[in-house]
Amino acid sequence: MFKRIILSFIAGSFFYCTAAFGQVNQANWKEDANIYEKVCDASITINKGVNLTLSQLYNEKPVLLALIFTRCSGICNPFLLQLKENLQFKISAGEFTVLVLSFDPRDTREDMELLSERLGLENNEQWLFATTGDIEKLNQSVGFNPVWDSTRSQYDHDALLVGINKDGYITKKLIGLRNRQDLAQMINSVNNIFSPSYRLPNKNLLFSCFNYNPETGKNTPGLGLLFLALPAIVALLLVFGISYSVRQKQI
Amino acid sequence: MESIKLRKITSLWILIVLVLFIVNIVLGILMRLNQGEIIHQSPITFYANMTTHGLTQIGIWFVAGMAAVNYLLQRYVKTSYSANVVAMVLTVIGILMLWASTYIGKFHAGWTFLYPLPLKIMWAKWATPMFLGSILVMGVGWLTWSVSMMTQLLKKYPLTRALAWQHFKKNPSTQTPPFILISMITLIGIIACLLGAVLLLAMYSAEYFSNGTFVNDALLMKNLTFFFGHTIANEMLYLGLAVIYELFPEVGGRPKWKTTWYVALAWNCTLVFILTAFFHHLYMDFVQPVGFQIVGQIASYMASLPAASVTIFSVLVAVYRTPIKWSLTNLLFFIGVAGWVIGGLGAVIDVTITNNFVLHNTLWVPAHFHTYNALGNVLFSLAFFHWFFNPIYQGHP
Ligand code: HEM
Repeated sequence: MFKRIILSFIAGSFFYCTAAFGQVNQANWKEDANIYEKVCDASITINKGVNLTLSQLYNEKPVLLALIFTRCSGICNPFLLQLKENLQFKISAGEFTVLVLSFDPRDTREDMELLSERLGLENNEQWLFATTGDIEKLNQSVGFNPVWDSTRSQYDHDALLVGINKDGYITKKLIGLRNRQDLAQMINSVNNIFSPSYRLPNKNLLFSCFNYNPETGKNTPGLGLLFLALPAIVALLLVFGISYSVRQKQI
Repeated sequence: MESIKLRKITSLWILIVLVLFIVNIVLGILMRLNQGEIIHQSPITFYANMTTHGLTQIGIWFVAGMAAVNYLLQRYVKTSYSANVVAMVLTVIGILMLWASTYIGKFHAGWTFLYPLPLKIMWAKWATPMFLGSILVMGVGWLTWSVSMMTQLLKKYPLTRALAWQHFKKNPSTQTPPFILISMITLIGIIACLLGAVLLLAMYSAEYFSNGTFVNDALLMKNLTFFFGHTIANEMLYLGLAVIYELFPEVGGRPKWKTTWYVALAWNCTLVFILTAFFHHLYMDFVQPVGFQIVGQIASYMASLPAASVTIFSVLVAVYRTPIKWSLTNLLFFIGVAGWVIGGLGAVIDVTITNNFVLHNTLWVPAHFHTYNALGNVLFSLAFFHWFFNPIYQGHP
């Protein structure tokens, strides 16, 4: 009997291992890629033709880097408009510069100046509009991969905002149009301020330790807590089970 | 015949442990040289070394304790040779898988492989399942071994006697040898934490295979990781203590230690505290309820107190103004207890929540656990090895 248990244990373990090899991880970690890596120190040309390096900017103040291109007929405009709108409110104590950088080699300094005027930000000192000759290296260092679609004459790309702290490290990335809380967390992170965060329950998260109710703001114990106690419970049941099944043989 | 087979396999365990220990010391020294900037390893090499060193050390000193307990248990009950062989085969396979994952696959998430690191592929894709698989293979081997030993124990000693509950009454009619009590308590803890590991690995594979349709709760995963990791690291020390209780008086030419009500109480309490002390690894997790944090601190204090104070008391009483025969075996046991106490004090300082705010993620942490492992647990096992190969003491079991 005991030997059979051993054999099934071994068989089970080998099954698990061989099955595991065939798999490829599909999780989407785009926002996590390149975090705490140093951003490429690209040379950039900002308003009025001033040439700088990215490190000169971030050494002064942390940078929120928005990657866009001026001929975009898709996400770039709403992305910048929402960023502007969110930043009108004081959402975090931290300070920063917003660098709007074109990733399209066709964009010129004039295009970027025009864009700043269109957004009404040409005189806002917190915002800089720039072009760069080092876009390939920069894209690679922040994990940004725009793909040129020749039929639409457009780039297929994410709306990416990259948070860079004063030491040039990427502390946070946000993809898509995001709310003020997310932005506040990014500003905190580039200023090295701790932001507590915890993945909120969603339909894919079955065994949460706590279930958060956004309406009441309260946490209730979840199924995960039971899982935590499970090994100890099963171990005790096993002890009692073995003790019961061998009791005839005891002295 | 049976005992010759057991001697042979125990010798083989000792050989494996010592060879891997030497390799691991080299890895440890390389890491220190790198930290002192005398050599320059890439972060990937450093962390691959650290992951290999951490898990291999925990693995070898755990099996060293198990092999010693198994060998001495034969004095009281008949143990299963096949379970011992299964554990050895799976341990060796597991170690090879681990080394393949870290050195060929470049897996380097640390021996605690905190969620979601293993799923954030920064190495060969196969290295994650290989690493998790290595833990599973070793875990299954050790679980089989522990369940088998516990079954043999329970065949002879009813549960309440194995736990020495009769000692809570006046004038108990039967004695439970301290070695049996400590082995039983420790085996229950080991089984619980290995089941925790199985659950943890099941959760990892569920997420890994679900292609994003299932994600784990980070808090649950961290709790499970330390339920397994902390508990097994602690239990392996208790395996060493079981050996001390059995051999220290014997080697010193003194009468065998007896279980008294306070020894029984201390070890029964230890079982509860040891399974809840791991909460001290989550002090920095603000989502963990405050109640758990408090339980973590209290359980950590309490876990160290009963077993430690009773053992220290017993060892001191055994040597103080008592003519005992000193040999390398009991000298190693004695120094081991001292190392364990010093490292343990470091641990108690660190589990105090206010101190942990300062000490968390500093070298204090590896410093304290190396003190009680390298100067405590390792010496307990080396003492057993010396006793085992010393012809003067043999003729047992
Ligand atoms: C004997 C000489 C040893 C040396 C030179 C050594 C050295 C080291 C070093 C330098 C680290 C990295 C620490 C850090 O910066 O976080 C480390 C980690 C570790 N060591 Fe040792 N060690 C030794 C023995 C042991 C023993 C006996 C054990 C256990 C029984 C052990 C278990 C561990 C563990 C669990 C880790 C953590 C690994 C991780 O976080 O993934 N070591 N050791």
